Amino acid sequence: MRKIWLIIKREYVTRVRTKGFVIATVALPSLTVALFIVSILIAMHEVDHTLNVAILDNNGDLAAAIKRGLDRKLANGQPAFRVVESQVRPASEELVRGEWRVAVRSGQLDGYLVVPPDVAAGTPVEFHTKNAANFAVTEDLDRVVTNAVIGLRLNQSGARVDKVAEIVRGVDLKLMRITEHDEKEEKGQTFIVAVSMTMILYTTLVMYGVSTMRSVLEEKTTRTMEVLISAARPFHLMAGKILGVGAVGFTQYLVWALSAALITTYGAAVAASLKVHASLPQIYIPSSLLIYFVVYFLLGYFLYASFFASVGAAASNEHDAQQLQWPVTLPLIFSFIMFNFILRDPNSDTAVGLSLVPFFTPILMLLRISAETPPFWQIGLSILLTLLATVGVVYLSARIYRVGVLMYGKRPSVVELWRWLRYS
Amino acid sequence: MTATTDAAVLERVTKRYDSLTAVGHLSLRIRQGALFGLLGPNGAGKTTTLRMLMRILIPDEGSIQVLGEPLSEQAQDRIGYLPEERGLYPRMQVRKLLVFLGALKGLPESEANRRARDWLERLQLADWSEKKVIDLSKGMQQKVQFIAAVIHRPPLLILDEPFTGLDPINAVVLKDIMLELREQGSTIILSTHRMEQVEMMCDSICLINQGQNVLQGELQVIKKSYGKNTVRIECSDDGAFLKQVPTLIQSVNHFGAVIEAKLHPGSDPQEVLKAAVEGGVRVTRFELMEPSLNDIFIERVSDAHA
Repeated sequence: MRKIWLIIKREYVTRVRTKGFVIATVALPSLTVALFIVSILIAMHEVDHTLNVAILDNNGDLAAAIKRGLDRKLANGQPAFRVVESQVRPASEELVRGEWRVAVRSGQLDGYLVVPPDVAAGTPVEFHTKNAANFAVTEDLDRVVTNAVIGLRLNQSGARVDKVAEIVRGVDLKLMRITEHDEKEEKGQTFIVAVSMTMILYTTLVMYGVSTMRSVLEEKTTRTMEVLISAARPFHLMAGKILGVGAVGFTQYLVWALSAALITTYGAAVAASLKVHASLPQIYIPSSLLIYFVVYFLLGYFLYASFFASVGAAASNEHDAQQLQWPVTLPLIFSFIMFNFILRDPNSDTAVGLSLVPFFTPILMLLRISAETPPFWQIGLSILLTLLATVGVVYLSARIYRVGVLMYGKRPSVVELWRWLRYS
Repeated sequence: MTATTDAAVLERVTKRYDSLTAVGHLSLRIRQGALFGLLGPNGAGKTTTLRMLMRILIPDEGSIQVLGEPLSEQAQDRIGYLPEERGLYPRMQVRKLLVFLGALKGLPESEANRRARDWLERLQLADWSEKKVIDLSKGMQQKVQFIAAVIHRPPLLILDEPFTGLDPINAVVLKDIMLELREQGSTIILSTHRMEQVEMMCDSICLINQGQNVLQGELQVIKKSYGKNTVRIECSDDGAFLKQVPTLIQSVNHFGAVIEAKLHPGSDPQEVLKAAVEGGVRVTRFELMEPSLNDIFIERVSDAHA
């Protein structure tokens, strides 16, 4: 045990001190913070000035209704639109248009609406502007004009309606998600949580797996292995390495989790103090899901890390290792590809079957749990099967590791390579 | 443990790599306190034998006892090992690496740290102790590797080609330390090609060839058994006169300034000298001596191949 501990410690300390680790650990939260700041800045500058618009109403009954409808407020409390001028059935339409065109070009005016006389029959309303790509503005205008025209039509059909907007307002569909214990409003956070967790799991499994592989490979190429193996058993070295790299992974997770907590706590406060209605998604992750996340990360890590470690032990250089690691990463990539399929129907027979295959379990079962908690027997069975598979892979990997060590330092002849293959 | 206990005993140890038998039924006894030379041509099975002693390889047949007990993890901790292929973590600080390797061999870390400092001081590496291994020269790395082998004061020290890459000064430093460790009671197994080193340092040897024990015993006894059958001559001639007495001479070895001639059994060296004088050669040195280990080595190995 003492030797395993020493190996874990060495692995951990030397790894945590590398530039790569510091960069990876700090970069992710920094990027998140940077994105957050950028989004606040964007929110603050979002169409930050009131648009000056004019209305040319050839119909005659719409200018007032449209003006009333353009009542949206900007984030800073100012109105989004100011109707600077309305012309109802002017003597010369061309003259007005020409005048306003000049005003738009010079910037005095941001745009003008032209309402055709037979708008009620469906002739489109025109909006003339320099910036035709501001979708928020066009969406607003579209809604306001539509409501005004609906009001007009209602009036023409005899209904006296004052508050058209009130009447034509649609009804939202509120999605409620029923879980084991309660019901919660669903605004897409399940999807976001599922995506993020799967992404993190996939990335870190590959990342730490490759780390373990490199680490074993490095001991082979630098020939440190023979010195180590004269002092500790291959099993100690293997276990120490996997646990050591795993501990490094946990440290990284911890830093990320803490910074995520800080960002969400203080970020909201910062946004509030800047009077920005920053749309921070209020994501609630149930603690049970977090626990499952840790469980499946651990299972997946041990399963894949010992796989990757054996690749490192079997290969004798980086090039070989890259080719050999392909079959190991394949099940991970596959589970990641299955993502959408599983989410569409997390309890289909295929989803259940796939999520019980140990190599897919870590990602797919977590995905299913985050979407819709499967029956506990499935979770239990998946954990059991993955544990069994891990034991099997560790046993196999220890053999390959052992053989890799045996082959180490020898000029491998064809005979030796054949023997090696037979071993593995 | 009595003084007569063997530090290592190999009984009919065999290691095969498929059809190739690297070591075949090799039996060895290495007396405690010996400075034992394991000799043999390239590919003779020296490194395989040492790796089996180190429990890096498991023998297919036979048994190995080390320090009075069968090989085990505990026994492994009492052996120091300098592998033929050097291996140190390139990006670790020298001192920290030594502390790690010392601790792995069972030393408390504080003690390992103290000893690492002492050794680095002694081998003139103190200035390099906080540097990374990769920044050190080959020779320095070699010394660090040596410290790693001896830091836990092992009763049995296995050194596979310890002098490669060292300049003469450092080679002497290492040799002195090895002799000193033997004084303190360590048994040292030394594998090398350099016969003159073995000749000067080792008290007993084993010569293996193609995985077989060809010759084993106390160096002095072995040399005596060959008798004084070699003459070393320094003279004004290139040794052409030796061709006049083919009945006396078995083989001639020219070293430039010196000629070594091996006599047929029963030949009288006096006759060789006579031939020289009669041939008008001025002899400045004429010495009757035991064969060098080098000669014995070459003879034994070429016999085996013949």
